[in-house]
Amino acid sequence: MSTLSSHLLDEIKELPAKYPQPRSAVMPALDLAQEELGHLTPEAMSEVAGALQLDPGYVEGVATFYTLFHLQPVGRHRFYICTNLSCMLRGAEDIVDRVKGAIGVREPGEVSKDGLFSYEEVECLGACEYAPVCRLDHRYEVDLTRAKIDLLVNNRRLPRKHIKSRPAADVTTPRPLPGSAGPPRTRGGRQSKPAPRRPARPPKESDG
Amino acid sequence: MAEKRGTVGGPVLTEWFGKAKLHTLDVYESLGGYSALRKVVTEMTAAQVIDEVKMSGLRGRGGADFPTATKWSFVPKDHPGPKYIVVNADESEPGSAKDRYLLENSPHMLIEGAAIATFAIGGHQAWIYIRGEYDLPYEMLRDAIAEAHTKGYLGDHPFGSDYPLDVRLYRGHGAYICGEETALLESLEGKRAQPRSRPPFPAVKGAWGLPTAVNNVETLATVPWIMRHGGPEYAKRGTEKAKGTRIVTVSGDVQKPGNYEIEIGVTYRHIIEELAGGARPGHKIKVFWPGGSSAKVLPGSMLDTSTDLDGLKALGTMGGSGGIIVMDDSHCVVKAAARLLRFYAHESCGKCTPCRVGSNWAVRTYERILANEGSETELGLLERVADGLQNGRCLCGLGDAAGWVIESTMRHFRGEYEEHCLRHTCSVGAVLAHA
Ligand SMILES: Cc1cc2nc3c(=O)[nH]c(=O)nc-3n(C[C@H](O)[C@H](O)[C@H](O)COP(=O)(O)O)c2cc1C
Ligand code: SF4
Ligand code: FES
Repeated sequence: MSTLSSHLLDEIKELPAKYPQPRSAVMPALDLAQEELGHLTPEAMSEVAGALQLDPGYVEGVATFYTLFHLQPVGRHRFYICTNLSCMLRGAEDIVDRVKGAIGVREPGEVSKDGLFSYEEVECLGACEYAPVCRLDHRYEVDLTRAKIDLLVNNRRLPRKHIKSRPAADVTTPRPLPGSAGPPRTRGGRQSKPAPRRPARPPKESDG
Repeated sequence: MAEKRGTVGGPVLTEWFGKAKLHTLDVYESLGGYSALRKVVTEMTAAQVIDEVKMSGLRGRGGADFPTATKWSFVPKDHPGPKYIVVNADESEPGSAKDRYLLENSPHMLIEGAAIATFAIGGHQAWIYIRGEYDLPYEMLRDAIAEAHTKGYLGDHPFGSDYPLDVRLYRGHGAYICGEETALLESLEGKRAQPRSRPPFPAVKGAWGLPTAVNNVETLATVPWIMRHGGPEYAKRGTEKAKGTRIVTVSGDVQKPGNYEIEIGVTYRHIIEELAGGARPGHKIKVFWPGGSSAKVLPGSMLDTSTDLDGLKALGTMGGSGGIIVMDDSHCVVKAAARLLRFYAHESCGKCTPCRVGSNWAVRTYERILANEGSETELGLLERVADGLQNGRCLCGLGDAAGWVIESTMRHFRGEYEEHCLRHTCSVGAVLAHA
């Protein structure tokens, strides 16, 4: 039985034709897989590889290089908080603290108990004139303050209707053990294999 | 998004900004948009387009200041098969947000510019590589490209001509190094984004192994104006050697952060104090990065420096990506440098040893210093690491940039470094909250 739905695999097989060379389809394909599953499991990556007729190790090598591919379960709403210089000068550290408190996690990558939230500290988001900023649900939230963070979090805890129709939260989402997020990912160090993942089924959540 | 912060109704790029629904084809066209592309495909030759841009003196706005017309002319004319324009919309340089500002205001301006450039190099397809975090600009570009196809301005017969033109989109997935043009091409080809060694240059062997010119968003967005008004008209603006206008992003400790279109040659004092409102009351500007985090810093005493690119080069720094980061006397230079080194170490693609090892070494040294464990040894270490990162020891500019942050902050603010390392104090009381 496959991890990815058969219609998604069909869609992935159509991708290579859109590019001058088929290999360019690898990231768009991983995108689709991640959208369906919430994060990229080893099985999903190898199914993507199969559909694109690429080596699974190659596909995993690409996925581990880029920070927007998630190899661990993530919250349905992810805060990508910029902590680079312009945001740091305008209080990004305080914003990180507030997000941690508001969603009840201790470290980047940890998923909140209700499965709704996780956060990451990211590099410059290219919106420095609005510092401090974060990306959340595919939009930028700007001029962040502690009060604004509380509002963003609380709004997403309300009954789902007014935000976007998505499958209900899967509270059985496997969560990384405390401390398993590991040291910050450095591209230079990404030759090594990612940390082992639990075999449990990933949440069926879409990204968007 | 919140209200847009920046110039509207400026001289060139921002001329039409502020008009309602400028992002739609109808409004863009009603103001004169697409008249340049129409003229190019129905009346001009590729050589004429390149000549016009050459007369404008336009130089690339992605950071390297390379003359745009020259870059286009390097693409071999008689090469059989496809050639590509690749648009660098990866904007990830800390302090730089101007490409996003352009795209959110006027996506058609980039599409028109990219199509003209594609015609100029004798190609038929432009690929826009846009960073994955730019969701809104991506959606706006996608819709704008669809509009242009519907109108018949892109496609097999743009404006009734027989010269097919298309603009495609490709999303990045979070990696600063993808802004480096050869790493970007690797990424576009579906690989890990590690810079290529040159030669061969992209003009000969670029995207998918074919002749390619890689241009920044702002560079291409300037092209329609040049074609409408003529190269010489554009060249009237700016300085003797650095023509035209550009958009700078001002961020950090200023009262009115934003994206401002400036004529090249104005001073940083004009930008930071007049346009961006200057420092907060009661504070003084201590230091600024004149062109993104990768440009060597200048102290607040040098605000009268001109934005003329050659002038900046003479000072050993650059206008780079146009991102001006301002820091006042309430912040610690050592801590700021430490944060930037963490950025470069995280983003190093790992291909060259000096960059991979040196940047991480610098991070650990800064961590010791900010934990009050610094000494003479740490000062010496930083100097050696900075030297090891610079001067062509690395394959791409990321390594140099990391070295420049250390070297230039140590040169101008030696006192603050010594305060930390030798006396274990910080005059502004910084603590490393997120070591
Ligand atoms: C580490 C690094 C990051 C870069 N990031 C960008 C970027 O985000 N956007 C960009 O346009 N150019 C960036 N550049 C410059 C590009 O390599 C290239 O010079 C530019 O896209 C060429 O376009 P232009 O001639 O129009 O300036 C970067 C260069 C380096 C070394
Ligand atoms: S200088 Fe750094 S980022 Fe550039 S190619 Fe070398 S290791 Fe990669
Ligand atoms: S530094 Fe935070 S958006 Fe640029």
